[in-house]
Amino acid sequence: MTTYYDVTLRDGNHALRHQLTESFVREYCTSADSSGVWAVEVGHGNGLGASSFLVGKSAYSDEVLLAAARESLNEAKLAVHTIPGFATIDRDLRPAIELGVEVFRVATHVTEATVAQGHMEYLVDQDVIVHGVLMMSHMIELAGLLANAAQMKSYGASAIILMDSAGRFEPFEVKERVAMLHQELGLEVGFHAHNNLGLAVANAHAASGAGASIVDGAAMGLGAGSGNAQLECIVATDHGASHPDLRQVLGMSRLVESEFPDKLPRTTASSIESGLAGVFSGYAPQVKQISSEFGLRPDELWQALADHKVIAAQESMIREIAIELSMR
Amino acid sequence: MAHDRIRVAILGSGNIGIDLGERLLVDDDFEVVAIAGRRPDSPGLHRFDGRIPLVASNGIAGLIPHFDYLDGVFDATSSFDHPEHWAITKAHGKWIIDLTPSSIGRPTVPCLVDRVDSMHLNPGVEPDNLSMISCGGQSSGPLLYAITQGVSGIQEVEVSISVSSGSAGPATRRNIDHYIEATEALAAQVTGCERAKAILVLNPADPPVMMRTTAIVQADVIDLEAVHIACAEMVAEVQHAVHGYDLAVEPHLLSENLVSVTARVIGAGFYLPPHAGNLDIINSAAVESARIIGRHHLLAEAQS
Repeated sequence: MTTYYDVTLRDGNHALRHQLTESFVREYCTSADSSGVWAVEVGHGNGLGASSFLVGKSAYSDEVLLAAARESLNEAKLAVHTIPGFATIDRDLRPAIELGVEVFRVATHVTEATVAQGHMEYLVDQDVIVHGVLMMSHMIELAGLLANAAQMKSYGASAIILMDSAGRFEPFEVKERVAMLHQELGLEVGFHAHNNLGLAVANAHAASGAGASIVDGAAMGLGAGSGNAQLECIVATDHGASHPDLRQVLGMSRLVESEFPDKLPRTTASSIESGLAGVFSGYAPQVKQISSEFGLRPDELWQALADHKVIAAQESMIREIAIELSMR
Repeated sequence: MAHDRIRVAILGSGNIGIDLGERLLVDDDFEVVAIAGRRPDSPGLHRFDGRIPLVASNGIAGLIPHFDYLDGVFDATSSFDHPEHWAITKAHGKWIIDLTPSSIGRPTVPCLVDRVDSMHLNPGVEPDNLSMISCGGQSSGPLLYAITQGVSGIQEVEVSISVSSGSAGPATRRNIDHYIEATEALAAQVTGCERAKAILVLNPADPPVMMRTTAIVQADVIDLEAVHIACAEMVAEVQHAVHGYDLAVEPHLLSENLVSVTARVIGAGFYLPPHAGNLDIINSAAVESARIIGRHHLLAEAQS
């Protein structure tokens, strides 16, 4: 049986430039609560404590959004994404626990699992559910992936989530990685897709088929870049014994569709370029703006970001690289 | 006893301690009296055999008989060991330069001494503990100070730091919150604005990336030309000690009330590689801070 993890109100906040409102959180959570999704993740696109000039200021604080979600969720769990380096225990994690967050997904770049140790060990002692998230998981070979997942397991994570943050994977690659972790790790494995190459739903199914028990999805695919795996599509084509109620999930989809008609992500030429280049999808707005400011083609800027091996949360590098390119 | 050169000892024989030793041995202002590690088989320690008079492998205990001869101590061990090292150093009436992220001492950025209120030297020769904060603090402090020269009505400040994964050691990783909190506290002191945020990113790219620090300030009024001039002056000043420090992106407006500037630090590498600009800048800061406080104490003693 697959556990569905709804990232609409977190990854979707990238598509909204982090302008998600308290009232929409209430409305969406009320609708999602009894749908059968296991958890609803809420917050800034880059997680707890990430509201910043660098990656974008939130319209509403973590506290306001989480409190609104808490009041609207009974059956589904309240979850957050959190990245050490943005969030700290004192400023972000402890208050989130006090606000009633039940699931913490501690995320690092795929090679940097060791920076999660302090935060994970703290959370494990607090009686909340702790998942380890490996972002940009295409940027490492299989052995390294397993080593980093094993680190997070040793810190107490109860599941390891692979994020295809750049939307780079094809289904055979997802299968290979998920199957390896499923067999070698002895923990639940999850998969979080992005749709840069139009493969997000196929990749989500490939992950389930290979042993992933947690699958991330977003209503209307609302997420960074070209968006996530569309939750309603995965549910509609899940032929397992038990899954969320399709009618309710389609209701969540309609809610997002009507609320954000001009913000819905889709696979575009630029998202394919970024997917092939293997660069973090969340950079799409900056790449669009800065490439036009400097008179560059988006694909050359995406490729240059890839050549510089820029990872997530390096927004200020985009301008530096654009300056370098425009001087050539 | 009057003497000209600043007499120092180094605690710690890891990468930082070794690099400090190499730097100080070629600096005429200093007399390196001792280096103390904890492991007799430490390869870092024994590269100094015959080059530093006392090479001790029993930690600070090895220094205790020689404390009276010293002016001050560099602590390049860990935030767990620093409190004890400071207690012993203080009891002997000496100053200490703290390169650990303990945040016990006074945050110090050498080029901001006497410019930022919290960084004035004590008038006398009381034992003092100067904290080197973090590499992000050392690289962002000068940028933030320069920005304050061209803006008024600061609302919020932010620094984001990216360093190569290989140059972020286990202590930084395990105590990533200490790093962030110390860097934020410095940003608040330098700008006088309590709303300060720091972000740290570790980039695993191979070949390794150079350290970068971006400072962003939100203010009611921004005179971009004045920020430009102040940044250029401050960068030139930092470059005296940190040769690889330069602007990667000139000051620019992100919006009417938001100014951003990015510095890149290429390590000068006495012992460390160029991508360890983060370690270079904190070691340079330690040496310059020791020069400032060491001269200050020698002068005060000569006059007393």
